[in-house]
Formats: sequence, C-alpha cells, structure tokens
Amino acid sequence: MRFVYIIVAVIGLGGILADHLTSPSSGRAVSPEDFAGACAPCGAPCPSAQKK
Amino acid sequence: MSTASFVEPGAGATAAGIDRLFLGLALAATAILLVLVLLDGQPASAALILGGFGLGIAFLKAEFSYTASWRRFLNGSDAGGLLAGLLVIAIVAIAVVPVAALVPNFGGAIAPLGPSLVIGAFVFGIGMQLANGCGSGTLYTAGGGSGRMLIALACFIAGSVAGSLHLPAALALGGIDPIIASQYLGPWGGLAATLASLALAAALIVAIARGRGANIRPKRGIIIGGIIIGLLSIAVFIAGGHPWSVTFGFTVWGAKIASLIGFDFSHAEFWQWAGPKRALAGSILSDTSSLTDFGMLFGAMAAAAASKPFARTAWPPVRSLAAAAIGGLLMGWGARLGFGCNIGAFVGGVASGSLHGWVWFAAALGGSLVGIRLRPAFGLSRE
Repeated sequence: MRFVYIIVAVIGLGGILADHLTSPSSGRAVSPEDFAGACAPCGAPCPSAQKK
Repeated sequence: MSTASFVEPGAGATAAGIDRLFLGLALAATAILLVLVLLDGQPASAALILGGFGLGIAFLKAEFSYTASWRRFLNGSDAGGLLAGLLVIAIVAIAVVPVAALVPNFGGAIAPLGPSLVIGAFVFGIGMQLANGCGSGTLYTAGGGSGRMLIALACFIAGSVAGSLHLPAALALGGIDPIIASQYLGPWGGLAATLASLALAAALIVAIARGRGANIRPKRGIIIGGIIIGLLSIAVFIAGGHPWSVTFGFTVWGAKIASLIGFDFSHAEFWQWAGPKRALAGSILSDTSSLTDFGMLFGAMAAAAASKPFARTAWPPVRSLAAAAIGGLLMGWGARLGFGCNIGAFVGGVASGSLHGWVWFAAALGGSLVGIRLRPAFGLSRE
C-alpha cells in the first residue's frame, strides 16, 4: 500500500505542477459562486433565471 | 473501516513511530504548493492550503466523522457525534451569516431547492455509508493512509464528473430559488434564525436519542475537534470569500484528467457555466476548493505519518473495496446533483442560513438509512 501511495503522490504532485505551469495565470483563487448568475457552489444558475 | 493490520519493516519508518518518508513527502508537497501560489502573489491561496492542512490534522486527530456519527444515531446507539456536527455548524454560522450579508466580496453557500437537491443528497447518503466516509471523510482518511479510501476518492472524482454532465437535466426538473434567512430577516435576524434552527434540530435529536436510551453526550475529544474544525472553517471562509467546500475540486480534477485523455467538454452545459468553465481552463491552484482539498490531504498524511508508520495496513477484502468504489461513485454523482457534500451543502448551507442545507440533511439522512441496510451485502457492519 505504501508503494501505491508513493506512486499516487508523485503522479498527483507532478500533475498539479504541470497543470499550474501550463494554464493561463488567473490571479486570485475563485469559486464558481464568484461569477454573476451563480446560484450554487458549483456555479449552477438559479431556476428563475433558467425559466427566462 | 476495520482492516487487519500488520507491520512490515521498511525504509522511512522509525521505532519512535514517526514515518519520516511520508511526513517529509507531505511537508514537501505542501511547501511546493505554497511556493507556487506565493510566487503568483496569492497569499489568500496560501491561507486556503494551510487552512486545509489544519483541517486534515484536526479531522484525523479527532477522528471526526459525519458518516459514523450519522450511522450511530440511525442505529440508535449514540447521538453525541451528530450533536458535535451541529456545534461545528453553529460556530461557522456566527461568522458566515452576518459577514456574507454585510461585507462585499463575501457570500454564503446557497443552492436552489428542487428535485435535483433531494435526489442528489439521497444518493450521496447511500454512498457515504457504503464508502464509510463523506467528502471530508474520504479526503482525510485517504490522506491518512487508507488505501480503501484512496479507491473511494478516485471513484468519487469519476462520479462527480458524471454528475456534472447530468446536473443540467436534473435542474430542468424544476425548483425554486435559494431561500436564505438573512434575506428575509436581515443579517442578525438571519443569524438568530439559523442558530434557533440548529437548537431545534439538537433538541429533536436529543429527544429521539433519550427515547431510545442512547448516549447524547459527545466525547470530549470530539467537542474539542469540532471547535477547532469550526474555527478553521471560518479561517477558510475569510481566505476564500465563501464557506469551505470540498467536492467541486474533485469535479475539476476529474474533468481535467478526462480532458487529457481526449474527452471534450465543450458541448457539456455544466462546463459552459462561467465558474466551471473558468475552473477547467485555469490553473487547478486557482480553484478555492482544490486548494483546501490538497491541504487537507497532505495535512492528514503529515498527521498520520507523524504518529505511526504510514499506510501499513493490509488491503481489505474485495467486497469492502467494491463498497468503497460504488460508494465513491454514488457520492460523486450525488454531490453534483445535490450541490455538495456534508461540508459544502450541509455545514456550509445551514451555516449560511440557506434552507437547502436542512433539505440536504434530511434527504442524505434518508439515503444513509438505505446505505446502512446495504452495508452487510459488502461484508461491512451495520454499526
């Protein structure tokens, strides 16, 4: 199990590094709720907005 | 989770119980993440990582478990853990309800009420009992050295991507906009109503437990752990601008992995909404829930490795692993349709004065009842 953990940790950390270094710089960390029209933590719109 | 344990000699562990290899790995990984976000000039991101790190330690050391405490309550043996969970929410609410209502750039965890919320939370409840951990529980036990929960986490991630594809259709079933106490009663009236709802729930739980002759006193360690978790949750709220959430990060990780292997999300409605679209395109370290998730994983790993040889237990039976995998898938799918897990939807929702938090709790409790009944089929105890 330790070996599995080492593999997962190394691949995971490598993936985070690669993603961060190849993604556009975005400044402050945000949540989907920060965007206009978001009605839930995942950024889903409100039912009232969907009906329009 | 019960697993037969055996200790095998290996590099990195010492006789004192400190596993230097994994303690070093956890600390080095956390340091790397901190350096990356600080190089980008984002101290708030560093605070989120450290907040998650502290939460990982607190959950692991206090053995704070929503899943087990719900199961003990539903089995009629103990209500103490469930009450400690409400204590966490009360602490968080004292900060979140007024600040979200009064301070610009802060907001609560809100969500619409409708079939998607109820179905998602119910399915999540089944999954959390099969996997033996909710969102936070999966994170800290996987980080803490449980290979079984590492499988649950992988399936949680996969399930949440599937859920993201189904959420728009579930929302089309109907629903109403979020109902938030502070919008009707003002910030302080909303806080009073939120605390009153928690007191009412606690009184109801105590009455049910007393009627069954069950214990109603949380253990001292759970109370202390709950207070620390509540305070750290407030720190995460201050750093991130929203209550602590866990599962959106999993969805983003899964979608990024799926994109790497060729999956195209450009026609998926969920991934065209502004927040998810930005999260998928941007750095994973610019998503608030991912930052606390990474911190929690490595915090739990550090705490576990600092006290005993890390991940030295044997793999559990296949049936138990199957329960973890199925539970993870159900939790992931349910978390997307239900707008989060115990943390994002229940703790965050109720602590924000949002009615959806209580609806989520009721539906997930119902799902847990089903999940508890299914556990023996996978060789797991109902207790």
